[in-house]
Parts: sequence; C-alpha cells; structure tokens
Amino acid sequence: MLLRIAGLCRPAPVAITVFGHVVLAYPGESLAASLIAAGITRFGEGISPRLAFCHMGVCQQCLVRVDGRLVQACLTPVAAGQVVA
Amino acid sequence: MMHDIAVLGGGPAGMAAATEAARAGARTVLLEESPRPGGQVYRSPAFDGPRDADRRAGDALRAALAESGAEVVCGHRVWGLGGGPLVAEGAAPFTLSALGAEISARALILATGTHERIIPFPGWTLPGVLGLAAATILLKAQGVLPGRRVVVAGVGPLLYAVAAKILAAGGQVVALVDGATNADWARALPTLAARPDVLARGLAWRARIAAAGVPVLMAARVTEALGDSVLSAVRVDGRLMPADALCIGHGLVPATEASRTYRAAHVHEPGLGGWVPVLDADRRTTVRLLYAAGDGSGVRGAAAAPASGRLAARAALRDLGFAPGGRDPAGAFARAAAAGAAMAGMMALRPALVAAIPPDTVVCRCEGISRAQIEAAADAGAGTMNQLKHFCRLGMGPCQGRMCGDAAAALLAARQGMPIAAVGFHTGRIPLRPVPMDAILGDFDYADIPVPAPAPL
Amino acid sequence: MTYDCAIVGAGVMGCSTALFLARAGMRVVLLDRGEICREASGVNAGTLTMQMTRAALVPYALRAHEMWLRMPEWCDGRGVLATACPGLSVAFTPQEAAMLEERAAARRAAGAPIEMISGAAAQAIEPGLADGVLLAGHCPIDGFCSAYLTGLAFRGALLNAGVTLLENTPVRGVAGRFVLDTPAGPIGATRLVLAGGVWLQDMAAWLGVSLPIKVLVNQLIVTERLAPVMRTVLGVASGLLSLKQYANGTVLIGGGWQGIGDRLRGGLAVKPESFLGNIRLAAHTVPALRDARVVRSWLGLEAETADALPVIGPVPGVADAWTIGAVHSGYTSGPYMGKILAQAILGQTPELPLFPMERL
Repeated sequence: MLLRIAGLCRPAPVAITVFGHVVLAYPGESLAASLIAAGITRFGEGISPRLAFCHMGVCQQCLVRVDGRLVQACLTPVAAGQVVA
Repeated sequence: MMHDIAVLGGGPAGMAAATEAARAGARTVLLEESPRPGGQVYRSPAFDGPRDADRRAGDALRAALAESGAEVVCGHRVWGLGGGPLVAEGAAPFTLSALGAEISARALILATGTHERIIPFPGWTLPGVLGLAAATILLKAQGVLPGRRVVVAGVGPLLYAVAAKILAAGGQVVALVDGATNADWARALPTLAARPDVLARGLAWRARIAAAGVPVLMAARVTEALGDSVLSAVRVDGRLMPADALCIGHGLVPATEASRTYRAAHVHEPGLGGWVPVLDADRRTTVRLLYAAGDGSGVRGAAAAPASGRLAARAALRDLGFAPGGRDPAGAFARAAAAGAAMAGMMALRPALVAAIPPDTVVCRCEGISRAQIEAAADAGAGTMNQLKHFCRLGMGPCQGRMCGDAAAALLAARQGMPIAAVGFHTGRIPLRPVPMDAILGDFDYADIPVPAPAPL
Repeated sequence: MTYDCAIVGAGVMGCSTALFLARAGMRVVLLDRGEICREASGVNAGTLTMQMTRAALVPYALRAHEMWLRMPEWCDGRGVLATACPGLSVAFTPQEAAMLEERAAARRAAGAPIEMISGAAAQAIEPGLADGVLLAGHCPIDGFCSAYLTGLAFRGALLNAGVTLLENTPVRGVAGRFVLDTPAGPIGATRLVLAGGVWLQDMAAWLGVSLPIKVLVNQLIVTERLAPVMRTVLGVASGLLSLKQYANGTVLIGGGWQGIGDRLRGGLAVKPESFLGNIRLAAHTVPALRDARVVRSWLGLEAETADALPVIGPVPGVADAWTIGAVHSGYTSGPYMGKILAQAILGQTPELPLFPMERL
C-alpha cells in the first residue's frame, strides 16, 4: 500500500499477472496506476522505454499486451485475472 | 438517427455545451472516451474519498448533464471524422466513427481539451518521469502517489496543486522547481484577485508546501533526470536531488486534431497555448456548423470552460433554428477567461526552455528523433512541420506528434529564423488516435469487401 | 537572367528532369507552389512493383526500378531506402485467378518476369500470407521504398547540380516564350517543362492547350511499428491492395481506394467506408495485421489522361514547351521518365519512346 493513498473506499483487491508476477490491484484503477503502485514503472522496450507518461491516453508510451491484445495501460481498467505481458 | 448537435469531449466545456443544447430541445449527443464525463480536470475518481472543490464542481456539471436529456455516450474512442466539409458536394451532416458507435449530427461542437506540453531535457524518457497533469490524474482519480520522493517541476498553478496533493496524501516532495519568477506571479495576482476562490485555494496550497518545509526554487529548471533504468535523481541547475519520481509540465496545448481534420482555419496564439481554431465571438469556426469550446479552443482554464461551452451551444442552437434559453453566458465567460488568461500566459511556451535542449536529447519519443536530427533536417531544407515529418519522421509515430509537436516547431522555426506560426502544423487526418484494426474490422466475408474496379491494364 | 529551362512542379518527374538537364549543363529553375515532393511524389505508397504497372510502362518501370535501387550512386549519396524483394499478386476467387493470369500474361509479354505459382508456393515465399490463395503472380524483382524521403533525396543533388529551386513559389501564368508570372517576380526561360501532376490541366491552359486530366484521390493507411509480419510486397489480382512492411516495422496499406478531394482542395479526407474496405482487404490477405493499430491515413492525387497513358513529350503547337506526367503508378517509373525527357530536351534520341500528348 506504499504508494496508494490511504482513506479512500476501495473494493476488495483482485489478482492480476504482470510480466509473470502476481500483483494485487483494485478494480476501478487503471492498469497503469496499478503497475506504478506495485513498483513496476518500466513496462518494456521500445525506441524509448515503455512507461506511463501522460496518463490520459495521448503519449502512447504505456502500451502493454493484456490477454494478448495491445492496449494503453492508462486507459485500461483493472480486472481480476488479467495477464499483462 | 440524426442528431441536431453532437459534442466531442466530456470535460466541463463539453458537458455544459451538451446540457445547454439539450435543454433548448435539440437532439444532443455527447461523446467521451472515458467511462464517465468529467474531462481531465473533473475526472470522476475511481474511489470515493473526501469531496474537494473540483469534485463538487464536476459533480454539479455531471448532474446537470444527466438531467438535460442529452444522450451521453461514454467509453468510446472517436477515431473517424467525416461529413461536414469533407464531402465531394461541399457540405453534409457531420459523422463521427467511434469504436462501437456511429453518430451523425447537423452541427458539431468540439470540446477536446488539451494535452500537456513537456519541453524535452536529458533523461525525460526515463521511467519515473511523468507529466504534471498526469500526476494530477494519478493522485486524484487513481489515488496513487507518483513516487515516494518526488520532485515537482515546470510552470503554472498545477505545480502547487500537485505538490500540495502529494503532501496531503502523505508523500514527500523533495523540491518544487518553478520556472516562473516571483515577479511573474506578482503580475498575475491582480487578475487572480477577481477570483477569490481560486486565490484562496492557491494560497492554501502554498501554505501546505511551506509548512512541510519543501524547498521552493523560483526561476529554476530541471536540467537532467538521471537513473540507470528508472529515475534515481534529478539535477536542478547543478543541484543533484535523489528522487524516484519527477512530475513536470510546461503548460497545456489545445488538442486541435478535429478542427484541423475538418480544415478549419487556425491561428498561432502563444497566450492561448499555441495553434487554435479561428473563432468568432460566438465560437463558430470557419467551417459552417462547426464550433469549438473550452481549453481545446484556447487555454482559459476550467472555470471559463462551461461558459465557453454554453456560448458554442447557443450559437449552434441559433444556427439550427432553436431558441436558446436562460441567461447569455458571454459576461461570465469574459470574467472567468480574464483570470484564466493570466495563468495561460504563465504557461505559454517558454523559448528559453526550448533553446536549452541539448543536441542529443530525444524530442520525438515515438521515433527517437533528437534535436540535432531536427536541425539537420532543417538545414537540409525542411521549412514546415509537414516537411520535417518527411525529412526525419518526427511525428510519424503513435502519438501522432502530440508530445513533440510544440517543441519541434519551436526548434525548426528557430533554426530557420522564422516565427513559429510560419512552420505550420501537421495536417489533420483520421484516425484521431491510433485504433486497433481488430476493433473496427468486424465480421466480414471476403465477397462483401467492396473492392473497386481495377485500373486499366 | 534567362534560364535555359524552367520546370514547373517539383515532384519526382520535375526533379529528375531538372537534375539530368542541369548535369548536362543547362541553367535550370525548378518551381513549386508548395515544397519539394510534398504532393503525390512524397505521399505515395513507394511500391516498386511490376504487377501494378500498366503493361505498356513495364519497360520503363524495369529501368526505373534499377535507378531507385542505385539512387545514392546518381543522387549524391541520398536515396529513398529502396529495397528489392519478391512481389506477390494473389487471387482468392476463380474470377480473380482468371484476371491475374490475363494481367500477368500482358506484363510478362512486356518484359516483367512474372510467373504463376500456387497458393502454397506463395505462402512459402510469404509466410504472412493467408490461407485460401488459389493462384499468385510472383515477380522476384519487385520492391518498395520510403516515398516521404524523395524530396530530401533530390534536394541536395539538385542544389549541387546548380538548379535554382524555388519552393512555395506558385506560377500564376506564362506569357510569351517564356515568362513565368510568380510572386517572386517574372522568371524568363527559353524552354518550359510542365510537371504538375493533376494540375497539368491548368498548366496546359497557360499555353492555350486543352489537356483534360482526371484526378484520382488515392488513400493510404499506415500501422505503428510491428514485429515482422511479412517480407514481400503484396497485392491482389485487381491491384486494389498494396502491402509492405518497412525495416522500422510499420506496414503501409494502399492500393488506390478513393478518398474525397479534387484539384482545388487537394486530398481532403479519407472516406470511412474506403478506410474500412482497405483494411479488411489487408487483414484478409495478411491475418497478423488484425493485431496492428492504425496510426495514420492520408491521400495523394494521381493524374490520369483519357487513355490512362502518360503525357511525356512536346506540347503541340508550342515550340520548346514540354510536359511530363500522368504516368500510371508514376512514382515507380518516375526517375527514368525524367531522364528520357531530359534526353529529348537536350536534342538526343531518348533511350525509349516518349508519350507525346498530340495523340489525345
């Protein structure tokens, strides 16, 4: 919970798999926020490293594959059982 | 179904525009990419928490929209624009293609907001570096701190808002690095005094920052972000500060891709954030039945956005033969816009930051194009942004030039000894954002593809 | 001063004509109302294939193909990343197979080394190709290049050759033989070359000559960078698809689907239905593209005469005036067309015959 702000009414966490590791996340969060809260700030390699930069769907730097499909992590809601690669 | 008025973008301007239009009896639809309307400033938080002023303002706009009778289509990315002037015969209803929705409307109001300007510096592509507006979203909508030890840097009021929010959430702010001078702020004060609520909030942020003992460095700038694979330190004019996050922003850039796609005339106004559509007093663009409102038509802040949206809606209503109701928002807009103008002026592009970009620093993140490569293309004869794209691929990547366009235009213009306006902007084209093919392909048989007749043999 | 030759239109035709004339010693001025190679020459699909080339143009395209591949050798070190690779034109239906055989036969007769192969053989050449191909035309010497680099590639060589390049200088009319009316003042030249693409019709009118030009508004679509999904230049029998993946991973989807635009307004907009049809055809042909994201679409204007053959040669009734343009798949043949027109202007016999407009 180190980076998650206390005092908010979060639902029960769910488990997702991120680059092979199980991570707890809260439905309602964006995948980008969940990854940052889990200490994962570098998502992969492109021309420059993949990372969440604008958090509003503009910069296209946070592309990840979720359940095989290419998505922007900042615009993708967390859901139980997601596999992020 | 044919709508009378479509509104693209569900921030404060778009919400108010759709509300105004629907209340007057126009069949109105609002399209928004996020799951709920609100825009970046009033983004609906993921989790319930304390209700601050922004939350109350956003909730009020959302409630009015919900009661207005406007159809609200959320969670759909609009990728295609057609109709309007983009037809062989010269004019037609506007068509918007979203993932999962097709909309037609007689009139279209653009309320597409802004994206953040971040002038490149060494290390800005390191994970851990993020935008100031991005930090606001992370903090307010997601309830997540950007890091444990955060440097907050750039220009404008968002600096103080982000730093105060980090502190309130229990985070540590290593330093607040303000590119403006105390004199810049003093000049903005008289217009801010006309908005006691805004002034009071700003003072509260500063009080919290002072109480926490955060160093506030004025007229300072981040010269480098350092780290092996992620951020570990930030250099500010020679001082090295350990940090695991850097929130940095240098102002807001109006998102004009839709008005550019419709070939509306644009003008470069640094005090409005850069390129903006040419508008009349009622927010008509140069394209018939196309209007623009909110920060996407020129940065004037969230407080001015609803009145600007209402102005646009009322012009559209009158042009379509409807009678707008209620009070004319022109006065309210003028007052709010005056306060917004002072902040927008402070957040305008700062040529000194552009001049300080080192030659080997990447400017176009998507294509990995450095300042030196931009200048080499300029020296090889590129004189406009469209030609720069051809000469070095700047802007050809998935962000479609949004992150780099502003800085690159300033670099190109400086190298050519021309004003920024002379280098122009990238021609607007669909898709408005990158769009996954499988999301639009649908089910089809080969025989159903309407392959045109072959060329002569 | 009076130039030996004024060339109006700085696309690939105008640029190559200017380059070869200047290198032969002529004082050349090259004018464009916009920037060098920013219309069709800079925004086309960069396809170097014999399988979309009109049969009558195959001998020219073969020679131009060689020029593109060796461009740095004749263009002062600059090129357009031309890449030779096999080309496939595929048929999914019996009707397409018949069309493919007929078209390939005509092109083969004109010198294109196209052989007919099975779907399985085509998949061996192009593993990215979908199942269900009945027949494919295979041309081992096709290829592609990055058309957006054309202006950059020509610009330095033109300046080195002494060409006066006047970009953003629209010619408003021509008086006498020849004084060009421009915002930069009158420009005199003893010879005139009109190289204005779809605007050739307006340019010919300056000389009192009628040259009807049909405007094709060709659509292009590009994906973001992908892992390798294909390695050939790929089309369908009708020619309404062109696909290639560049070294940087982007896949360019074209084929001549029509968008909105005209001579006056330029390439205005992609039609959503053409956008969808084009990407469906692409994804049907290379299924891995389903996973791609489309980043951008755009349009380029292509000129076509009444008989869909070029106008390269003298202007009837106006001594020392020439046209070059309206070459189907003109980019592919472009540099060679400029070379042979330059030969004619210099009083030499062109290596291959020109296409004088007097036939029209």
